[in-house]
Amino acid sequence: MNGAGAAILAVLGLTLVKATPLIFAALGGVVSERSGVVNIGLEAILIAGAFVAVVVSGVTGSPILGALAGIVAGALIAALLAFAATRLAVDQIVAGTGLNIATLAAAAFGLVLVYHRPGASDEVPSLGHTGEIALIVIAFACAAALHVALDRTPWGLRVRACGEDPGAAEAAGIDALRTRFGAVVLGGAIAALGGVYLSLAELDLYSDGMTAGRGFIALAAVIFGRWTPLGATGAALFFGFFAALQYSLQRAGVPSELMQALPYLAAVVALAGFAGRVRAPASDGVPYVRQ
Amino acid sequence: MNATPLLRSRAFRDIAGVIVLVFGVGSIAMALAHVSPIAGFGALFDGAFGTKEEVAETLVQATNLLFPALGIAVAFRAGLFNIGAEGQLVLGGFAAGWLGAQLPLPAFLAIPLVLLAGAAAGGIWGAIPGFLRARFGANEVIATLMLNFIATLLATYLVNGPLALSNASPGETPTLPASATLPDLVADSRLTWAFVIALVLAFALRWVLARTVFGYELRAAGDAPEAAKRAGIDLGRTAFVAMALSGAIAGLGGATIVAGELHRFNTGLSPGYGFIAIAVALVGNLDPLWIIVASLAFGVLTSGGIAMQAEANVPREVVALVTGLVIIALAGRRVVASGRTT
Repeated sequence: MNGAGAAILAVLGLTLVKATPLIFAALGGVVSERSGVVNIGLEAILIAGAFVAVVVSGVTGSPILGALAGIVAGALIAALLAFAATRLAVDQIVAGTGLNIATLAAAAFGLVLVYHRPGASDEVPSLGHTGEIALIVIAFACAAALHVALDRTPWGLRVRACGEDPGAAEAAGIDALRTRFGAVVLGGAIAALGGVYLSLAELDLYSDGMTAGRGFIALAAVIFGRWTPLGATGAALFFGFFAALQYSLQRAGVPSELMQALPYLAAVVALAGFAGRVRAPASDGVPYVRQ
Repeated sequence: MNATPLLRSRAFRDIAGVIVLVFGVGSIAMALAHVSPIAGFGALFDGAFGTKEEVAETLVQATNLLFPALGIAVAFRAGLFNIGAEGQLVLGGFAAGWLGAQLPLPAFLAIPLVLLAGAAAGGIWGAIPGFLRARFGANEVIATLMLNFIATLLATYLVNGPLALSNASPGETPTLPASATLPDLVADSRLTWAFVIALVLAFALRWVLARTVFGYELRAAGDAPEAAKRAGIDLGRTAFVAMALSGAIAGLGGATIVAGELHRFNTGLSPGYGFIAIAVALVGNLDPLWIIVASLAFGVLTSGGIAMQAEANVPREVVALVTGLVIIALAGRRVVASGRTT
């Protein structure tokens, strides 16, 4: 094996590491948005998942329990958004933006309460290398499962119907509000695994700002992947590849800001329709109010 | 026992709800941090109002929130969600700092040029999603959200790379010459004429929205897009102009931060003013005059929060926590009525 081959393998390995949290978060976004709820709060879900996973792992000494608690935390944050979006019919975008601000602050405040210092938590038992590989496999398994579930099951049909036309779905006997609520909470549980990966697999602590806008890159992946599980996974891998490449290209003089801007630029281009016909579910982001 | 109409009005209930939220969540957070709420809020208000300098700093924070909040309100009133004020503000600040640092002009020319550069840069950054929406139907929410990140990365790249000026530190422009900076309003403080400019702008915007044909078209596009279209209003053009104006106001805010309190651009000039301003605009019910009041209230929380951390040992994140909750609580306002579709 020569040096170039090893370098390529290293970039591919790093691509998986960088892409995995994005895949989880993007899949969570896909489920939510296919049911008609825009999830600007993915960043909040990543933060909650990462923070709670670390605290519980530290307290119980079990990173598995930590990971499960992180999933529950993400589902709870998503439930908050889902409640506001379905029962109160508030604007999902404004609510999601508020959720991001509040959760980031709550985690920073929580660090002070639990660890009595700002900035970062103590080191806690992590999932280790085995756990990291397991999570990478789970990410791809989730993508495949969601693809089948959304495309081929009655549940998927109901979710998609609510995302396109909740009024018609209700006329056909589907409880649109309940379906949306369930999809958003499930999406939150999946997305939270991205936070768990960041804090307990890639690292063994939580620090302020560690999610670094990945929730928004995942949102870009949802759009770039045209609101499909496999498309979003592909987009997350694409963004992960460029994040991995950054280290080598920086040495070659390519400005790192350009590489970091790539996911966001891709989303803007996809929105403008240059990447082919891109269409969100027709009722994505539209509150449904029963007549 | 008779409730007056004021007590039943939506604005009053909103404001009462926000006050309960601020003091309720604030007290719980302080209790968790083992600080008595009386001591905590005492430190907060003391830090915001205690001395002349502290009042000035409160007004500085209010000013920095007022500009982006006014910009956000213009877009919201047109039925467009501009959550890109942060990026527009950062690029406005960069344009102002970059130009201002190398303007060998007297103050009466340099100051307007610096402010204009900020407004132009912010306006262009707002016009991009406006154009994409008008031309391709691209969702402006996601576009402005993404453009926030691109703006910060672009400003970082430009200030260190192709547009780096000599004798500047990394991530900064050199200090602006005195002729390009806004005069102080209160000596030995960071409060400058930016505050007055923001107030004048709020009154001007109120007039534009309420009394001009443009203001009418903008509100019509936001309140009843279908009816506006049938009445012959070009929705695409309105979206473009509203977003450009919205961005220009946020960009002007960035320019006043640079020309007023910092006297240079640096990449960390905003601790998220563009995001907090969403709460300010919502609390102010998207009305420029009420937004002045809301920005003063958030100015108190922001400047007082810093003092609260220093004196009562309550993390200032409590302020951000409350801000986020206020945004969630007010997300229902206007929205269903506006009949907006994405």
